[in-house]
Amino acid sequence: MKSPAPTQEATAEPVEQALYEVRKKIHPRAVSGKFAWSRWFFVWATQLVFYGLPWLSWNDRQAVLFDLVHRKFYIFGLVFWPQDIVYLTVLLIISAYSLFLFTAVGGRLWCGYACPQTVYTEMFMWIERKIEGDRMKRIKLDKSPLTGRKVGLKAAKHAAWIALALWTGFTFVGYFTPITELGTKVSAWSMGPWETFWIFFYGFATYGNAGWMREQVCKYMCPYARFQSAMFDRDTLIISYDKGRGEPRGSRSRSADYKAKGLGDCVDCGICVQVCPTGIDIRNGLQYECIGCAACIDGCNQVMDKMGYPRGLVRYSSENALEQHLDFGQMVRRVVRPRILIYTAVLWTIIIVAAFALTNRVPVKVDVIRDRISMAAPDAPLVENVYRLQVMNTSERPRQFRITASGIDGIELESQRQPITIDGASQRVIPVRLRVEKQLTKPGANRIVFTVETVGDVESIVIEEGATLIAPKSD
Amino acid sequence: MGPLLSTDCGGGVTSQRLIWILWPSFIVGGIAEVLFFTAFDPLDMMFFGYPITWSREAVYTVGFFVFWAICATSSAATCFLQRSSGDINR
Repeated sequence: MKSPAPTQEATAEPVEQALYEVRKKIHPRAVSGKFAWSRWFFVWATQLVFYGLPWLSWNDRQAVLFDLVHRKFYIFGLVFWPQDIVYLTVLLIISAYSLFLFTAVGGRLWCGYACPQTVYTEMFMWIERKIEGDRMKRIKLDKSPLTGRKVGLKAAKHAAWIALALWTGFTFVGYFTPITELGTKVSAWSMGPWETFWIFFYGFATYGNAGWMREQVCKYMCPYARFQSAMFDRDTLIISYDKGRGEPRGSRSRSADYKAKGLGDCVDCGICVQVCPTGIDIRNGLQYECIGCAACIDGCNQVMDKMGYPRGLVRYSSENALEQHLDFGQMVRRVVRPRILIYTAVLWTIIIVAAFALTNRVPVKVDVIRDRISMAAPDAPLVENVYRLQVMNTSERPRQFRITASGIDGIELESQRQPITIDGASQRVIPVRLRVEKQLTKPGANRIVFTVETVGDVESIVIEEGATLIAPKSD
Repeated sequence: MGPLLSTDCGGGVTSQRLIWILWPSFIVGGIAEVLFFTAFDPLDMMFFGYPITWSREAVYTVGFFVFWAICATSSAATCFLQRSSGDINR
């Protein structure tokens, strides 16, 4: 009889040391089952979006285009300008809160199913399996001396990886520069130097991360992996080995009365370790290397089926459920608990406020820049200040504007011919000259207001932007 | 770079040390790039008193690597200072 699996505390020390070991190459075994299927579903869902989105059109332009060259981001009907960075911040906050929520409910769901690192590793491992074969064949191939066959297989694998990586790099750059033009340029090999550089840089990162680095990215580079347990509590669903049911583990024949021998349900076949992409043994308890991919659940269930034992020796469970022997329904009901309710409430508040702000966004922005060198002579009867008004039309149709100034009696505004037309999703800088009688001003800064309003438009927009008019000292 | 990278400190080997230096600086450099170029348009900037004649893509790209390098220098200094004098002067 083997000793029971060590507890998490007992393994803490060796795990810390293993961090600094030279990496042993992991050859994960292919696995099938409902979680493998879910992972593939997410691979397809996320990658159809990633590879497909840049090819969609909207209003005769690319639907999603982060046009860095013109400093405008297009997302379907919305156009974002650098001034809209607050929405990016809100998006990041929403993402972070969603991550907290999902983690508190179901552990590392993000890592296991949706993180690009997992998704691309999954795709690259699929290619590897198709070319080099499953786990045992790959281990044998890696150990074998350099033969023509080995070189051929390795070359084919890397060629396929590089092709996928470059397509990924091309798609990535296609989010920043119109992808159809980019495609034409690539087919004629006439890309600009920066486009070429970023296609290869992103392609190289994909190839390196999904082909070579794999689980090391999660173990050594991912900040989330380090702090995710802070969001766990005793009711968080994590992939757990049911020690009470499985131990003492040991091999036995299928027909043996293992209970009479004093054995638990774990046949110690090691499948859960072989399928693990991070190479851990789930039977040692929750470990920070576990990315929650559930491959071990599928692997173990297959073995349980073969043995004729009930499934779920390794399953999604919580600390409380394991200790108090809760059934599935009781465990799921515990999802409704203060921590989850608070995360959910905060998340929805932020989403609703952001959606409200976004739908009520005024499609016109005005910036006033006063020209510092435009002071009138001290003895002139009129004070004159020159401004530049940057007027941005953030909607996608042209608009006409009229600019007026107020704040001091008899203020006179001189500019180009009004109304001023500004094309859709563009801006104009309009020089404006203000003149007032000096006796109506006080020396120094005088508060004035520029009013920019739409003319002849169904949607009436009035924007008031404060500014100062500087008058010289009267002496 | 020799004494900075060649010996173990707290068990780190060279490749992990490189990750510690290059990876956090990559993330922070990227954030700095986004924040900086959201606020400042390369075409409005002056370079030692001269207007920049490069394209925006060029400035963004070079800017990213400059930010990354600056952040990597800071990470490297942190890595260096984590080690005691005894570790360095062996």
